[in-house]
Amino acid sequence: MIEADRIWFSYDGRRWALKGASLRLRPGEVLAVIGPNGSGKTTLLKVSSGLYRPARGRVSIDGLDPWGAQGLEARRLVVYVHEKPIMLRGTVAYNIAYPLLLRGASSGEAEERAREAARLAGVDGILNRQARKLSAGQAQMVAVARALAAKPRYLLLDEPFAHLDPARRAYLARLIARLASEGVGVAVASHDTLLLESLASRVLVVEDGAAREARSLRDAYSGPA
Amino acid sequence: MAAEGVAEVAARSLAVSAAAVALASTWSLPLAYRMARGGRLAGLAPAFESLTGVPTVLVGLALYLLLSRSGPLGFLGLLYTPAAIVVGEAVLVTPLYVAAAYRVLRSSWEEYGELALSLGANDSQAMATVLRQASPGVVAAAVMAFSRAIGELGVAFIVGGNIAGKTRTLTTSIALATSMGEYELALRLGSVLLALSLAGGVSVHALRRLWER
Repeated sequence: MIEADRIWFSYDGRRWALKGASLRLRPGEVLAVIGPNGSGKTTLLKVSSGLYRPARGRVSIDGLDPWGAQGLEARRLVVYVHEKPIMLRGTVAYNIAYPLLLRGASSGEAEERAREAARLAGVDGILNRQARKLSAGQAQMVAVARALAAKPRYLLLDEPFAHLDPARRAYLARLIARLASEGVGVAVASHDTLLLESLASRVLVVEDGAAREARSLRDAYSGPA
Repeated sequence: MAAEGVAEVAARSLAVSAAAVALASTWSLPLAYRMARGGRLAGLAPAFESLTGVPTVLVGLALYLLLSRSGPLGFLGLLYTPAAIVVGEAVLVTPLYVAAAYRVLRSSWEEYGELALSLGANDSQAMATVLRQASPGVVAAAVMAFSRAIGELGVAFIVGGNIAGKTRTLTTSIALATSMGEYELALRLGSVLLALSLAGGVSVHALRRLWER
């Protein structure tokens, strides 16, 4: 389980982006993370994945401290997918194989597993394209494929539907549900309440740097659970 | 100048400036990377920016005082050798090199460094990714440093001594030819220097375009 407990975080040392926010994500569940723009959703996901170290509070990933002696092991259990998909210079195939190469996979093994992840995300037809020349929607799905290639136990998706057309949104929603059914814990920060309604097992509302759990999206908009 | 031709002087200038940039790379790139990752070192950026135009004669003078026989590094016997010019030019180009590389690496770190870490990179893998993704920009910074080195006069004159066949460079040759009234030679040397500087400028432009892709 990912446990981010009473997290305080500031980017500039003057203003708190997170003020005691907590997040819990269990394997096999889909957690919807909702809230207005600038409320702290992205920051909470990044802290929970071990990307940012909080000023106060504690993060543990399957009991491991992401900034401790087993930090790398802990961070490799999680993949955070950025809201704006970032593509490395090179082909789509290289981008998807990248996390595998980081983990020491041989180029043959990385290529094979990248192809499988690309097929899962529906981007296996563009493996030889230059990644930085893709449309935003294609890049988003390549970013998802790249995350899948790493076979994470927890997947934190930041506005994953933002650049997608309706067909791809539905495809990604089905993929998220499938991953959860296979035991992956997925947190999805999104404004797309319709899709979240069908996906989420739990809801976390982030407002002004604080977070509260809600039983459902309807409850989330009507006050504390 | 009669003892050696324009080509020989130009070759020495190229070699000395390239060696100076290679030497400066060993400290400028790691420093720029550390600054780009944030923290206290990032606070040095304005200092390097302001030192980019430091007068070359000042660097030459400081180095002369260090390398002269009675100076603290006099025992090295480097004064009036090509090595002294290499060291001097490496010091001279450092602020420009660090400032230019920092600008490139900062944006590269924000984008690719965080991406690498989010996908399970350790620190050295993240650094390799950032440098690889920023490579056109980093090379452009090195070319800028090279242009600054090959066009400077103060360091080459003061610590090199303009010794024919040993430490004479394009800029010191131009100064000498002008003072001796050999304007045709000075102009010929000047056009070689201009061509090399232009080639550097064009390379930087091409690399920037590659970087922005």
